[in-house]
Amino acid sequence: MSTLEPIQVGLSNALLAPERPLPPGVITWNGSDPSVRFDVYRNNVVVSLTTALAEGFPVTRALVGERFFAAMARCFIADHLPSSPILSDYGDALPDFIAAFPPAQGLSYLPDLARLERARVQAYHAADAPALTAQDLACQLANPQRLSAARLALHPACIVLVSEHAIVSLWAAHQGQGRIEDVDLRRAESALVLRDGDAVLVLPLSLEIGHFLVALAAGAPLGEAAEIAAAAGPDVDLTQAIVLLIHYGGIAAWHTPGDL
Amino acid sequence: MTQSRAIQTTTAAALALALGTALTFGNTAIAGEGAAKEKCYGIALKGQNDCAAGPGTSCAGTSTVDYQGNAWKLVPAGTCEKTAAPTSPTGQGQLAAFKDV
Repeated sequence: MSTLEPIQVGLSNALLAPERPLPPGVITWNGSDPSVRFDVYRNNVVVSLTTALAEGFPVTRALVGERFFAAMARCFIADHLPSSPILSDYGDALPDFIAAFPPAQGLSYLPDLARLERARVQAYHAADAPALTAQDLACQLANPQRLSAARLALHPACIVLVSEHAIVSLWAAHQGQGRIEDVDLRRAESALVLRDGDAVLVLPLSLEIGHFLVALAAGAPLGEAAEIAAAAGPDVDLTQAIVLLIHYGGIAAWHTPGDL
Repeated sequence: MTQSRAIQTTTAAALALALGTALTFGNTAIAGEGAAKEKCYGIALKGQNDCAAGPGTSCAGTSTVDYQGNAWKLVPAGTCEKTAAPTSPTGQGQLAAFKDV
């Protein structure tokens, strides 16, 4: 057990909350007041993490306003030390935090909108992986009775979202596509977020296809996912879903039970 | 039991059909994507046009005012002339460049 760890824990706890006392043993080289110097450090940490959140959630920030976002970010930061040295990972927990944040309770669409913004960052930074082409998949047609049991691994940069709110239209309206006033927030929407070259795309999906892809992403076999899609609504176009996945390189692997 | 087997058979057939159709689309899916879009003039907000904003500009993202009549944006086919464009004589986006009113 390292003796460094309790010092580090004490330091990081004190950094994130100004009301906490200075960690023991903090001194200054020139005899000036260590609590004043430590406040500068505290301020730099909080400001840089707030800026990271603000840049990762621009639409969330625009919707609640600069001051609300900054106050919410401060509450979030107090309980969330970065768990990775990669700054773009910071904020993965913000959507769940917003869902439980009492002042944001009136904005029921906000957690899912934040999830969409986070998905775009995650898709952008996701690992590269080879994708299966139409030629690769043609052999699957030789055994159509085995299709139902097949499980697909989606590409790491593919993230499917289904929301009870019109988060896709709302997000698009903030990119200059459509008018915010025309968005009916009570309408459920779904989207597939993925990477095309270096660009991150947000592709609107029907709810049926959204549920189909959510089930596939969770590891359900094709047949079960198709039944989930059929239960979600009358308009199940599996062809469109598969065309979309093949076209954008969304299928990383195709496993049929019994295959080596 | 029989009913659930019937559902499974239907699903298997639907999956085979979906995959088969999807594979025959093959690479033409990419071309089809282009066909489902149309160039729509006069609907792009300032700096958000996809291309064409007059001589001397470098195209995408260069329109200088909202709803500029000679700047277009790619939109899903069929939606252009339903999109509001305050600068357009018709009040909606148009499929060809127009002079702002």
